[in-house]
Amino acid sequence: MKRISSRTVFMTILSMIVVLGIAAFVVQYFIKANDWVTFPGSPHVYSGGNISTGSVRDRDGVMVLTNGERRQYADNELIRKATMHLLGDRYGYIEAPLINTYADKLLDYNPITGVYTTSETGNILNLTLSADACVTALQGLNGRKGTVGVYNYRTGEILCMVSSGTYDPDDMPDMDTIESDSYYEGVFLNRFTRSTYVPGSIFKLVTAAAAIDNIPDVFDRSFYCEQETIIGGEYITCEQYHGSISFGTGLVKSCNIVFGELAVELGPEILTRYAEAAGINSAVSFDGTTVAEGNFDLSNAGDNDVAWAGIGQYTNLINPCQFMTFVGSIAAGGQAAAPYVVDSVESADGMKVYEAQRQMMDRTMSESTASALTEMMRNDVVQNYGTYDFPDVYVCAKSGTAEVGEGEPNAMFAGFVQDESYPLAFIVIVENAGSGSAVCTSIAGDVLYACMESMDG
Amino acid sequence: MQDFFDLVGRVLIHVVGWGSPVTTVLRYLFPLLAIAILVRCGISLLGFRKEPEVWGHIAFEDGSRLPVTHWENTIGRTRRNDIQMNFENIYKQHAVLTRYDDGSWTIGDVGGRGGIAVNGDTITGLTEIGYGDLIDLNGLEVTLVPITDEEAEYVESCRTDPKYIVSPAMTLILMTIFQAFTAIQLLIGCDSAYWKSICFCFPVVTGFMWLLFFFNKAMRRSGFEVETIAFFLCTMGLAVIASVEPDELLKTVISMVIGVILFMVIGFCMRELDTAKKLRYIAAAAGPVMLLAVLAFGTTVYGAKCWIYIGNYSIQPSELAKISFVFAGASTLDRLMTKRNLFLFIVYSGICCILLALCNDFGSAAVFFMAFLVIAYLRSGDFATLSLICAGTGFAGFMAVKLRPHVTARFATWRHVWEDPSDSGFQQTQALMCIAAGGLFGLGAGNGQLKYIFAADSDIVFATVCEEWGLIIGVVCVLCIVCIALFAVRSASLCRSSFYAISACADMTILIFQMTLNVFGTIDFLPFTGVTFPFLSNGGSSMMGTWGLLAFVKAADTRQNASFATTVPTHAKKRYAA
Repeated sequence: MKRISSRTVFMTILSMIVVLGIAAFVVQYFIKANDWVTFPGSPHVYSGGNISTGSVRDRDGVMVLTNGERRQYADNELIRKATMHLLGDRYGYIEAPLINTYADKLLDYNPITGVYTTSETGNILNLTLSADACVTALQGLNGRKGTVGVYNYRTGEILCMVSSGTYDPDDMPDMDTIESDSYYEGVFLNRFTRSTYVPGSIFKLVTAAAAIDNIPDVFDRSFYCEQETIIGGEYITCEQYHGSISFGTGLVKSCNIVFGELAVELGPEILTRYAEAAGINSAVSFDGTTVAEGNFDLSNAGDNDVAWAGIGQYTNLINPCQFMTFVGSIAAGGQAAAPYVVDSVESADGMKVYEAQRQMMDRTMSESTASALTEMMRNDVVQNYGTYDFPDVYVCAKSGTAEVGEGEPNAMFAGFVQDESYPLAFIVIVENAGSGSAVCTSIAGDVLYACMESMDG
Repeated sequence: MQDFFDLVGRVLIHVVGWGSPVTTVLRYLFPLLAIAILVRCGISLLGFRKEPEVWGHIAFEDGSRLPVTHWENTIGRTRRNDIQMNFENIYKQHAVLTRYDDGSWTIGDVGGRGGIAVNGDTITGLTEIGYGDLIDLNGLEVTLVPITDEEAEYVESCRTDPKYIVSPAMTLILMTIFQAFTAIQLLIGCDSAYWKSICFCFPVVTGFMWLLFFFNKAMRRSGFEVETIAFFLCTMGLAVIASVEPDELLKTVISMVIGVILFMVIGFCMRELDTAKKLRYIAAAAGPVMLLAVLAFGTTVYGAKCWIYIGNYSIQPSELAKISFVFAGASTLDRLMTKRNLFLFIVYSGICCILLALCNDFGSAAVFFMAFLVIAYLRSGDFATLSLICAGTGFAGFMAVKLRPHVTARFATWRHVWEDPSDSGFQQTQALMCIAAGGLFGLGAGNGQLKYIFAADSDIVFATVCEEWGLIIGVVCVLCIVCIALFAVRSASLCRSSFYAISACADMTILIFQMTLNVFGTIDFLPFTGVTFPFLSNGGSSMMGTWGLLAFVKAADTRQNASFATTVPTHAKKRYAA
């Protein structure tokens, strides 16, 4: 019997393996139950593909989404359209990572009592966004494709992010024919976070930062613009004949000759270093969204290519959200806060479940470089666009006109408010709208005022 | 002050939740009751005193004595023998000494090697001996001496002292409360159309449980822990069925009653080793016959051919064949020692596994193979041979996995369920979502969502239990089976015959392995096989087969006056006085 009974030890081992396995599962349960229960399709939490609990409101307390058996969007059609790319539609044509990312917090779930104790209405997610500013931006874009973004470069709060074209989730277009309708071209894309654009002249800010740091006498230099010149055996052309021109005026007039020559003088290595520091090739992430990476690659570029790259053409691409943080960093003395859109999540009785923490981005340039650029950008506004659109706000900015191959060029406008009460950086892009400043400055002005109004409460 | 009330309010909301007030109370009460039941059963199953029994003595010429502590003993030179005689002329394993229920003894050589003479006659095979007979082991002369009355009384007194006294009746009262509350919760959680069958089925189970308990009492048997655990799991199974497939409640209760009868019949057959040994040939033969019948007349459901339909009734013979398999594998020590032959059993197991593989029933094939390994190891202790067999089978299994697309698909999904949550990983991801939704205390029976998912009451039943009853009770269900398995291990060394020890361990291996495949398949620790969770999974044949298997554990339970499936031994002194 001793032989037989000593062999039963294997069963003790088997039992222990089972017990250990179950223990491992219990540990895993406490770590992952949150993810499991809020995974899309979870029967207790989702109904028809949408999470069925929680609501979302903007910074002023305007309800923009109430989850339930059926999603309920804002009452105002323009708010619905302006926040569409953030919140998504009911059927997932426009995907919105925000809600799924915060599903567990909206649900008010805990692994001890399960969903048994969650309230029917769920928690409330407070956005940093101002619905009013978004509507203003959408109205400014006026049906044209493009994007507007505004954020607080000190705290990181995004006050406005709008992507146009869009549609009303309560009045969806015919999805069978939408592909062939040019009005809806690229409608499923959140242009602010997920698209990339040829930057055009707004990229000159990066080249200028590199020049300020690396060419000691750059402010004393004189350039000569004959509207065209030959660099690296090929032409570099400028919009206008500027004649003798300084570096500072070169940025105000957006002279291609100045920045083409500077780019070549700096060389691909330094330019690439500054583009990398500006974050052109990296992707910032917030609240479940990772923005699209831009492109700055001079690995096989000749001198002419380097010159065009310094002007913002060549193969350069920027992501609007990312570039907005770059101009924000100029305003913030070289280092801006990282953007985010969810301020907090709270229960119906006001208990905070989540609160955003300010995080800083990497430094893009030195403080002195930033302040020199700020001055140049202010001159640009004063001398070029005038302060008509923002009479009592200290706006510094740079416009751009990006050639995109076919059709009218894209109008770009990026800048910031140099005012500690309203530390706002912005970017406005209107596709195929021709010259940058004309279209964009009025949109930027209206949206900035809307944001400031919201900040004043 | 206001803050204090706010806090109290918030805490209350987290404790109370949205359900009916009754559910809100019961969901905290159920885990407490379940733990109490398991702990009470566990204490008496695992905490009993293991006193060595003495059935006689081996006396040497110089007057020294060695106690004989088992009914089946090996005699040999090494420490691994029950009776160690460390002399040069004794083989490592020399002889096997067996006591029978009537108090008679036999001695036999090991592997036909001889080396034994009784009263001067050299013997081969088993030979009956009496007290005082001169036994010559390669020149070493010993005699068998009966134990004295004092020793007998001492042994008796030790064995009636259970160390921990846990009243089985009290446990059963807790169980009854659990069942009553379960029925109440189901009335809240289920459609009113099924109130009638819930009100009928649960009292029947409770009544039947008490009937069996009093039957045990009438037989002057006190051990009811194994049955209590089984009834607990059956209650859980019924609750799941009431929530998922309420139409099948009555069928399940009937299966349970038949299962319990099978359990009693097998248990009674096991009382006498002779009867059990005779029965085993018939029982063993029934296994392959049933599997052949499936292959010939079976119906394929979801890829596996494992059902036989007779009119409106369907049975799954592989569930019952497990009993046959255990019978076939069990063997007495004298046979093991004199023949030492695994060949027939290997062939038998091979036939069973091949028949199951032909039916595409790979889950059952895996269970049978596991049981085979265990039995083969228990019988031979031979790792080398078993490793070879494992390697061979592993290769065959690999080929099977490669060749059978639905098996391949399940292996491909394994550990990747979240990558395809709407198709190949659907059941398991839904199961995990619902386990998480249930929390530790569950949402209340009938309040789940998993019941709308395929196989909620079988393949992923563990998740349904966790969702509706909470993770605590889910874990308790797993520990229930583990508890009985450990009891079988503890009992093994006290068994009257290795026949009982092997069968009890083999059958608990089957149950624990099935449970492991089921639970770990559901939670994506192992590939999803779809074998049943003993007692918990919906399935009549499985219910009957599991109860049948449980009889082997009862037969291995030699605690004094505990099990109806063992007789109280008659002491030698009464009939074979020296």
